[in-house]
Amino acid sequence: MKFWSYFRDHAGCPETEIEIENGATLAKLHEAVCEQFPKLDGSKNSTLKAVGLEYEDDEFILSDGDEVSFFPPVQGG
Amino acid sequence: MKTELTISTEPIDEAALAKRRAMDDGMGAVVCFLGVVRESEGDDAIIAIDYEAHEEMARRQFELLFDELSQSWPVESVRLVHRIGIVPVNEPSLWVEVVAPHRAEAFDACQFLIDEMKQKVPIWKKPLPA
Repeated sequence: MKFWSYFRDHAGCPETEIEIENGATLAKLHEAVCEQFPKLDGSKNSTLKAVGLEYEDDEFILSDGDEVSFFPPVQGG
Repeated sequence: MKTELTISTEPIDEAALAKRRAMDDGMGAVVCFLGVVRESEGDDAIIAIDYEAHEEMARRQFELLFDELSQSWPVESVRLVHRIGIVPVNEPSLWVEVVAPHRAEAFDACQFLIDEMKQKVPIWKKPLPA
């Protein structure tokens, strides 16, 4: 798990490892992350999620070793 | 379509970028956009914006946007520079150039790229208060 922008401050770390049951979805991981890092719960609905370098939706099935990023809405430009 | 993407902490050198412009004789339009840091963010005065990027993913997402753009408009080339790190007020954070046969597609493609970037490319800003 990697956290970006102010999510890193809310989580208190830039990255962590999370164990979750086989076949879990990204939504399930999100719940687990919000339990472990309660400050992220307030941004739950606006969280963007990526696996590797691609955006994925809540139904995405995770595999062992996937690198997941959670971050707030982007603001480039 | 030729593409060139730069994500760097270096200041954007417009003159150097313009000097390196290469375009086919059939091209009639060059649209350049410069995004510059304003002196305020909302109601607050700032001195700079600190830009952070998930650089590897940002490159991938720009690549996808360039592909999408090339399928929608007959653009010859796109060059885009996004400065990251601390960008002071009145200095550019973004430079985009689109070269196309006519102005309509060059303007439209440039607008598309910037609009989509602001939705999809993982870059964030942290305003630094004055």
